[in-house]
Parts: sequence; structure tokens; C-alpha cells
Amino acid sequence: MDRNYHVFSDGRLERSDDTLRLVPDDDGDKQYIPIENAEAFFLHGQIDFNTRLMSFLNDRTVALHVFGWEDYYAGSVMPKRGQTSGKTVVNQVRAYEDSQHRRQLAAAIVKGSIHNMRTNVVYYNGRDHDLDSVIEDLEAAAARVDESLPIDELMGIEATAKKAYYRSFNQILPSEFQLTQREYNPPPNEINSLISFGNSLVYANCVSAIRATALDPTISYLHEPGERRYSLSLDIADLFKPVLADRVLFRLVNRNQISESDFETELGSCLLNEAGRKTYTKAFEEMLERTVEHPTLNRKVSYQYLMRLEAYKLKKHLLTGEAYDSFQRWW
Amino acid sequence: MYVVMVYDLEADRTQKALKIGRRYLTHVQNSVLEGEISEGDLSKLKNEIDDLLKPGESAIIYELSSDTLLNRTVYGDDPTEDQRFL
Repeated sequence: MDRNYHVFSDGRLERSDDTLRLVPDDDGDKQYIPIENAEAFFLHGQIDFNTRLMSFLNDRTVALHVFGWEDYYAGSVMPKRGQTSGKTVVNQVRAYEDSQHRRQLAAAIVKGSIHNMRTNVVYYNGRDHDLDSVIEDLEAAAARVDESLPIDELMGIEATAKKAYYRSFNQILPSEFQLTQREYNPPPNEINSLISFGNSLVYANCVSAIRATALDPTISYLHEPGERRYSLSLDIADLFKPVLADRVLFRLVNRNQISESDFETELGSCLLNEAGRKTYTKAFEEMLERTVEHPTLNRKVSYQYLMRLEAYKLKKHLLTGEAYDSFQRWW
Repeated sequence: MYVVMVYDLEADRTQKALKIGRRYLTHVQNSVLEGEISEGDLSKLKNEIDDLLKPGESAIIYELSSDTLLNRTVYGDDPTEDQRFL
């Protein structure tokens, strides 16, 4: 039920009347935002705020995710940890150190990621596109996944699968949006910038989801725990990118809701402009709010909550040894 | 669920109800707020409003299980539009 809010305009975000208020720079109307149902704020514009706001958000456990120059995820201001558990962290590190255990988790993530890519391709295969060869490649990659393989080989399998998967984009999408090569930093054309933007939203949402548990976001299994980034979020985001970001992308482009006029092209880079980002995030948020019947919880859960569940599942696995099956789209 | 809240307080006290309501809902017109709310938040809101009221004042909350059940027609600008994209 808790929502993400996206701020695209420039202005000042402040605490007022025990809730949040946005005062736009351009003398527009002040807007009040109901704090009680906020999960996180995604700041895409230039926003000022002060320490009073920070402690208020901290109290209400609301996060700020900041997107900087060229849509890059610049970082998050997270509320102080509500959940802490030394035991969880110890177990998390142990699982990382134990190479057999780490491979097992990494293999589960790669398997889930390939499965979710495959579901997308299968969906479009049934819609007048001939994607049999991509499906075969994905299945071949999935068959190679094994818990005994070293991590870099597992990464390699995922990369091969991704490559095959991206090949299907060219058939699913119209000719103006051809993906010749996946590139970023900065993305050189429309399709790459859409993929990058979507992925960064998935990543930020996973950061929020992990934060809700006592897991340490820097200790990961498939990706190498890196400096200065939340690599566990990269692990979990891999599972959700096809389900969230790519589906939104296909839908928007194929329905002409996003066109070339939604981008700004500069030398060597192509990025969504404000209108484009708005369209995309709107569709993305609608996606997060969709619900599916959960097979074991016996209730409906939102796509957003699935990320939270994934973090819970991982934590439970680490603490109790209950088998970890990665998220695989079941509907 | 989706709720509409209207209130009628002494003239110099209306701000108090607005202040509480704004934390949960969107202010759409003088003394009227509406929006999606969870059951837990709704009961918090009800308690806070109930505590606030003095004799002679009132607040009414209309509840709907979802906004799709509500026939809502807006003439002019819709204040609830795009609330999450600022």
C-alpha cells in the first residue's frame, strides 16, 4: 500500500504541518504529500531540503532515492536501520565465504533471472513474433546453470542469456527502436537509455526492499561485493528487471506512448527528457501496484511486495537453512 | 480502500482538521479530502479526528472498498491527478 513518489520539478521539499510539502521553484502551487502512505521519494529534479526534513523522514522510515546527472542513480538517503540483527549479517558473510554455499545462491539467482527473461520471450513469441531461436538459447543457458560452477562461469552464462534475450528486443520492438548493442555510461540511443532508466528504478526499489530486512545490502552472492554500491541489490534486481522494467518498456514503445520526441540527444548520449521520464515512471509505478495471487501466502501481493518477499526469503534461508528458491514468475 | 472525508469545524479551527487529514489524504477542496488509504491508517485517522472535535463540530468519512466503485466526475481541474508525480 505504501507508495513511491517521484519528484521531477525543481524546488524545495520541506516538512510542514507534520507532513511533506513541495514548494516548486517556478512559483507554482505548493503541494502537500500524505506522509503516512509514502514508502520512498525518487528525486529526479533539483531539490533542496534541510536536516529538519531528514529527521522527519527518518522518523517515518521514508527513503530518498536521488537520480543525478544523466539519470544516473546517485544514491539514497535511507532512514536509520529499524531492523538490525548481527546474526543475520554473520550468516550472510558465512554463506559468502563458503564457496559451495555462495555458488548455490548465485546459481539460484541466475536460474531465476533466465527464467524471467524466458517468460517475456515466450509471451511475445505467442504474439506473431518468431522467437523460437531465442527461447532455445535461453533454455540452453538455463541447462548449463549448475551449483558446482565457479561464480565467473555463472556470470558468463547469465551474460550469454542476456545477449540472446536482447536479440529478441529487435523483433518485439518497432524498427526505430533497434537494440544493436547494449551500452551505457552514457546510453548512446533511445532503447539503451530506456533499459538503463528502468533498471535503475528496479535497483532503487530493491534497495528499499533490502533495507526493510536486517540483511546487509553490500554482501552479495552472484555479483562480487563491490565498494561503494549495494551489490546485494544488484543480485535481487537481476530477477526483477525482466518482469518490471522490460515489460514496461515493451508496452510503452509498442503502444507508441514513448516516441523519439521523449528523448534528448546530445553528443554520444541519448536520455529521456522530463516528459519521457514521467511517462515511464508512471507506467512503472502502475506495474509495481499490480497484484498477483501468491501460491503459498494465499493472498494477493503487489509486484512491489514481491521484492520485499525475496529479501525475506533470502534472510530466512540464511538463518534457518530453509531452501532458497529464487523468484520465478509463476503466472 | 478509498475514502472521502468532509468536516465542519469552528471557523478558526478548520486548519486543525486539514492538518491531520493532509498526512493521509489529498486535499481537494475546502473541508474536503479524499484518497487511497490502508485500513490501519484509516483507523488512526478516525481516532485523531475524533479526539479533535469539540461539541457542535463534525467530520464525516465515506468509505469505499476501492475507487473503481466510485462514480467520480470532476469539472475543471482535478486536484488528485498525478499526485505521485510532482
